[in-house]
Amino acid sequence: MNKKNNQLNNQVKSYVESLFSGIGTSQQLFDLKEELATNLKEKTLDYTSRGMDEQQAFKEAVISMGDLSGLVADMRLLGQDKARQAVYSTMTARISLAGIVFGVLLTLFGIFTIAMLYFMKLPGEAVAGSGIFIVAGGALITYSILTRETTARFGMNKIRAALYAISIGLILFGMTTAFITRYSTGEMFIAIGSLMVFFLVGVGLFLFLALTETDRRKSSYR
Amino acid sequence: MGTTISTDLIRGHTDTIILNVLRQGDSYGYEIYKKIIALSGNQYELKEATLYTAFRRLEQEECIVSYWGDETQGGRRKYYRLTDKGQEFYAQNTKDWIFAKEVLDKLILNELNSDKLALENLLEGGINNE
Repeated sequence: MNKKNNQLNNQVKSYVESLFSGIGTSQQLFDLKEELATNLKEKTLDYTSRGMDEQQAFKEAVISMGDLSGLVADMRLLGQDKARQAVYSTMTARISLAGIVFGVLLTLFGIFTIAMLYFMKLPGEAVAGSGIFIVAGGALITYSILTRETTARFGMNKIRAALYAISIGLILFGMTTAFITRYSTGEMFIAIGSLMVFFLVGVGLFLFLALTETDRRKSSYR
Repeated sequence: MGTTISTDLIRGHTDTIILNVLRQGDSYGYEIYKKIIALSGNQYELKEATLYTAFRRLEQEECIVSYWGDETQGGRRKYYRLTDKGQEFYAQNTKDWIFAKEVLDKLILNELNSDKLALENLLEGGINNE
């Protein structure tokens, strides 16, 4: 009996799948398939309980459903919107990928410049000045990673990601200015003073964002 | 040869029929299908294809809401429930139907001579209302 039930399950499933084959997925389509399958199976079992053999019962049940082409057309329309969304999200993925690559290159460029200027025995403030590339690179990497959509998470909203990027940028900028002022004035307390301004704003913004975080996990990963 | 209800005639009332079933309790696709057959005294079958299209439409219009049952054996059922808006929609449609049925009865069955009285009553009523 259980084996038979499984066989019917598969038959119903593959019928419903074939009905909507080649249609872009959507939550509605997923739900409709399950709804149709459950009801179709129940109808078939009703027929068999009246003495019809299972194959015949399944055929009758399918025929008696009527013309489903209207529903199929509805789902096709929904699926097309989905296809457009998919193109859009690969588009943002590409932008985000470019952002990560460029951000990493910018950061590396900053590190190499600093190393180069340091060994050229240039004054400390000139060396630290190249840290501005690391600031820009760090902010860009932050933004690009956060807006990236993965299989498990949706990308972050652009404004929010930009705010995160600003907070990281401010923290890095604070450190850069601290080094610059340290070397140009030779006084540590001035360096700490100028670090404080940007660093505190950056950390404040970061904490605010981190504590108001919403769940971006996709439903199937929850 | 038996008589049937033409699809043209029933089309405008599919939604009201479904709302009438759901008015009497939450239900799911196949059960609603069976209940409609029972309501008609086995004289009318509303095809499931028509039902599913109507469910989608009624849900978009917020006349009904859906939720999944918690059956574990043989797939979950999608249940539908009437909303307040659906209740209002049903009440209005019922009123319209009762009115339409009376008028259609006259239009289709009555003869002008034998129904002179009814017609006069109608006209008088119209004048008195003004």
